[in-house]
Amino acid sequence: MITKHHIHDVLKMLLMTGFLTVLCGCWDIKDINHRTLPIVMGVEKKNDAYNVFLLIPENNQGGTGAKVVTGTGETINEVVDRFSKDMEVQVDLLHLKVIVFERAIAEQGLSDSISSFMRARDISPKTIVAISEEKLEPLFEKLKSSSKNGGVEIYNFFEKSAGWTPHVAQTRIWQIFRSLNSFTHDVAIPIIEPGRTTTIASTGSAVIKNGKMVGKITPDETLMFNAFNGLGTQGRIEVMDHGSVLIVADKLTHSSSIKGNKAILNCRLQLKVTILETKGSPSVTMIKRELDEMLTGQIQQMFRNIQSKEADILGMGQFFRTKLSRERLEHWRSEYYPYMKLNVQVNTIIQNKGLLKMKN
Amino acid sequence: MDKSLQVMVMYLLTHIGLIFFMYPTDIIEVVDVGHWSAILLGFALHVALMGIFLKGLGYFAPRNLIDIFLGVGKVFSIILLLPVTLYFLMTIIIDIRAYSEIVTLVFLAKTPLWVTMVLLLSVPAFISALGVETLFRSGVLVAILFFPFLLLIFCLSFQNADWRYIFPLMDKQAASLSYVVSRPYLLSLFAFTGGFMFLGFIPPYITYKRRKVMWASALLLPFFLISVYVPILTFGQSTASRFQFPFITAVDTVNISWLMFDRVTLFLLLSLVCFAMLFISLIMWKTTLLIRRGFPSIRPVTTTMLLSLAIFIVCLYIPDWKTVERLLWWNTYLRLYVMIVIPFITLFLGIRHHRKGAACP
Amino acid sequence: MKLLDRLQERQKLDADLFIHRMFLTQQPVMLAGYKSLIDLPHTLMLLQQQAQNAIAAERPLFALGSGIGDCISPTEELKVIEAMSEGNLIILSESSDLCIKIVPISRTLSRAIEAPTTENVIRGSVSAFNEDLDTNIGLIKKHVHSEKLRTQSYRFEKGQRRQAILLYMEGQTNPSFLNALKRRIESNLGNNIPNLQALNKLLGFPVWTLISRFNTTELPENAAYALEKGKVVLFLDRFPFAIILPSMITDMFAVANDRNFPLFFMITMRLLRTIGVLANMLMPGLYVALVSVNPDVLRIELALSIASSRVGVPYPAIVETLLLLLVLELILEASIRLPKTIGPTITMVGGIILGQAVVNAKLVSNILIIILAATTIASFTVVGFHNSIFIRISKYLILILSALYGVLGLFAGVVVVCVYLASVNTFGIPYLYQPKARENSDG
Repeated sequence: MITKHHIHDVLKMLLMTGFLTVLCGCWDIKDINHRTLPIVMGVEKKNDAYNVFLLIPENNQGGTGAKVVTGTGETINEVVDRFSKDMEVQVDLLHLKVIVFERAIAEQGLSDSISSFMRARDISPKTIVAISEEKLEPLFEKLKSSSKNGGVEIYNFFEKSAGWTPHVAQTRIWQIFRSLNSFTHDVAIPIIEPGRTTTIASTGSAVIKNGKMVGKITPDETLMFNAFNGLGTQGRIEVMDHGSVLIVADKLTHSSSIKGNKAILNCRLQLKVTILETKGSPSVTMIKRELDEMLTGQIQQMFRNIQSKEADILGMGQFFRTKLSRERLEHWRSEYYPYMKLNVQVNTIIQNKGLLKMKN
Repeated sequence: MDKSLQVMVMYLLTHIGLIFFMYPTDIIEVVDVGHWSAILLGFALHVALMGIFLKGLGYFAPRNLIDIFLGVGKVFSIILLLPVTLYFLMTIIIDIRAYSEIVTLVFLAKTPLWVTMVLLLSVPAFISALGVETLFRSGVLVAILFFPFLLLIFCLSFQNADWRYIFPLMDKQAASLSYVVSRPYLLSLFAFTGGFMFLGFIPPYITYKRRKVMWASALLLPFFLISVYVPILTFGQSTASRFQFPFITAVDTVNISWLMFDRVTLFLLLSLVCFAMLFISLIMWKTTLLIRRGFPSIRPVTTTMLLSLAIFIVCLYIPDWKTVERLLWWNTYLRLYVMIVIPFITLFLGIRHHRKGAACP
Repeated sequence: MKLLDRLQERQKLDADLFIHRMFLTQQPVMLAGYKSLIDLPHTLMLLQQQAQNAIAAERPLFALGSGIGDCISPTEELKVIEAMSEGNLIILSESSDLCIKIVPISRTLSRAIEAPTTENVIRGSVSAFNEDLDTNIGLIKKHVHSEKLRTQSYRFEKGQRRQAILLYMEGQTNPSFLNALKRRIESNLGNNIPNLQALNKLLGFPVWTLISRFNTTELPENAAYALEKGKVVLFLDRFPFAIILPSMITDMFAVANDRNFPLFFMITMRLLRTIGVLANMLMPGLYVALVSVNPDVLRIELALSIASSRVGVPYPAIVETLLLLLVLELILEASIRLPKTIGPTITMVGGIILGQAVVNAKLVSNILIIILAATTIASFTVVGFHNSIFIRISKYLILILSALYGVLGLFAGVVVVCVYLASVNTFGIPYLYQPKARENSDG
């Protein structure tokens, strides 16, 4: 048993070390109002140098408005460091929400940037990545002028709990990093541009293979891509010749098989929809049939599109993990994927017809 | 008084504090597919050795390991226990150094290492100076406070899981068990051995029922599986193998929109660091117990203080992560000794003792 | 009559002392005692009645064994004085050389049984202990009808003499604990106990402790519950509360009165208290950790609003928090001293005017005001004022550690607090010990 006297010795020692630490200083202490927390970073290439944009919420009472700072340098980090030096506050990338790359950089390859983001922990792996078709200047001007809430708008554009719609791909840094190393998984990155009336508009998604942009898919195809990856398509309005419907639920089932050296994937997409509007007086069966045909066509077209690029953004290789050994999976993209056969069967259930009656 | 609950909780905490950092790294390095076999093998080994150890101790209850060995002979016990002491010392040094490195790496980038080490050392020193009963009681309290939290985060960590990454379940390499002698696999055993030795030291201060502790070990298996499979399911083998701490990175990808905090990793990590602090204080207590047997004249608090000072100085001399890894590797030999030789000798002595007792009651 | 002379001598120095001559059964006697302690007219009537009875029964009043009081040898003056100062009446018979101590009708010098002043009861018995030892024991006996209840009396002889009564239930109490406690008290009977600090020292508890090793309650209900739970209740003369040993962590969260509510309500209330305690200890530390060391943990919206509320605050978050905490502690301390009628004024001045002005002057951020106000409220969800002190102090430890190490410091602080709680024990009963019942109770 230890006597109380001894415990006091320990307490004294602890107190002393405590004081010593306090006296020696505090290292990581930097109050939040002395840090600046950029929300969006834009990266573009200008004559072999990086041109970096930061959208920074302005720290005034009320927290509204935002400003944009730009700088050029050899590496992204160098530019950020220069910002820190030149501004009255320290630039902290901890809260960076969106990184926008210029298309040219994406075509050259993102792998080094993404890897260094993953390595240094000051950028969260949850940061969303987007690609801009044009130069970044107009985009950031637009973001700045329409920032009412400290620039959180663009973040909300991608955030599932806020303004995200399934027409926009949602890809985070860690997913791109995974695709860099994965045998069977590529990603799609949303392409954005400044909108005419809205802040941002999405014009589709970039198909990324091994960190390089190899193609582009349309917003409608992005919807299919999201459905395939299990991101809900709810709330989506599908326009056809005879009207439009609202998708309420979707369910995807697969069965994969390997015949000879050829991979075959059978997909069944089951959609539950309600009817929103009609043109003329189509019957329910007609709408159902048209929807089935249209979606099947769309999926097949998108698949052929990305198959020709050998980019497996739908992660189809994942379904063959049970069928192929790891050594063979390594060659999935080159040996199996280009020759893969996809059978899609879309099955629509019209759950209800809204508040008006309709003939069957 | 039966304090099985405290022992069980402490057993769980110390292991959980250990497994989520380096263990998944090692296991992912060991095999490309069929990680479960590597985990299960290690776990079975752990349970078996613990069973043997407890069985051996059971013959002598309520004496502790030191008394048992001293009962055989002084030289014998010195030879046997010296490596154990050395192993404990090295474990403390490695743990403190490694954890402060992790803390620096993950969220206190500008705080100098020694400051973090001071904290990680002074808290365990304080705990172990207060005695083992305090240590075990506070273990329960810490568990009540942090565990709900931890379980929540474990549930959330499956958010980005793609279950298809489980496949393929098996291949030739995993089936052949050829990895058993590989370096990372031997390294990974640290998660299994560090903990259970304390069961031999705590009686007669704290008594427990053998069977209950064995049951607690069954509760541990899910944690081992989670620690390896969460990164695998989130990233896939080939990506996960690129991370220094795969589990931490995997939890980093979890996105929760309803919580007021953005990075749940930090809370997970810190709960684990707190558990590790308890673990370190437990080892520290064991080490002081051993040292005081050797030099009974030193006061216990002085022992603890000198010990922590010495450890602190050694920690300051470890320059980089590579050295930590090398130390961990050197420690493997001691670890193998501690995890295999000590339980078997205890069992052997126990059976002998039992026979003697039966022969001349 | 040496004793009478001496008493008369003493009367000159002690105005309170009376010596009254009267006849009892035709015998002249002298009565002596203290005016302030004895209700003389009623006592005289009582004595007359006794005398009448004695005549009717035809036996001498002062015969030994007639049972009107205890005999004291008149030579022992000290004993006589002591008996008087305890409030007894001394009868000196002039004929025979007899000195008898009898219990008179005493003046009521303690308050009536009232409602408690520091503990509120919503649903349960409202009577509270007062300064009178016998009243207190009586109240306990009313609450515990059990033949297992044991009562032991001790007298501390030095300085302000004080009587102490130890109550426990036979067979419920941990015997080793009980013996240790009794031995400790018995070996220290020569001490003076002017206050609870002295009691603490007498019982051998460390002086520099943050947790009081005994719990106090004004409510007989709580004391009875504690007795049934196997704890020991100690009463000290002139202390209007019961001292319950050993104190445990459950005392912070549970009161006997909770059981007068539906079970679900009881559990939620206790959970609420637990949350209150945790919030109080953690919130200031969490604020400092998040604002100055780990702002990345906050959500961006929150981070931005905190950042904008802190613009213009001239010092770091830790100083800001400490300053405001100091003001709050001052308000708390002041409101204990203030009469009840002025209490609301200080609340208004402190809370509304000061708080508003401080924010407007940009001396602290308004989010901090919210946090600290919540913290202060939370600190009083805990049961018993003496328990809230520990929480109030440990808050500062966590705060300082958080300022140094951020969220890591916060967690380490929690561990240290847990360890401290675990290290406390009372005669071998740990503070965290749970007597069988598995209630929701943690700290």
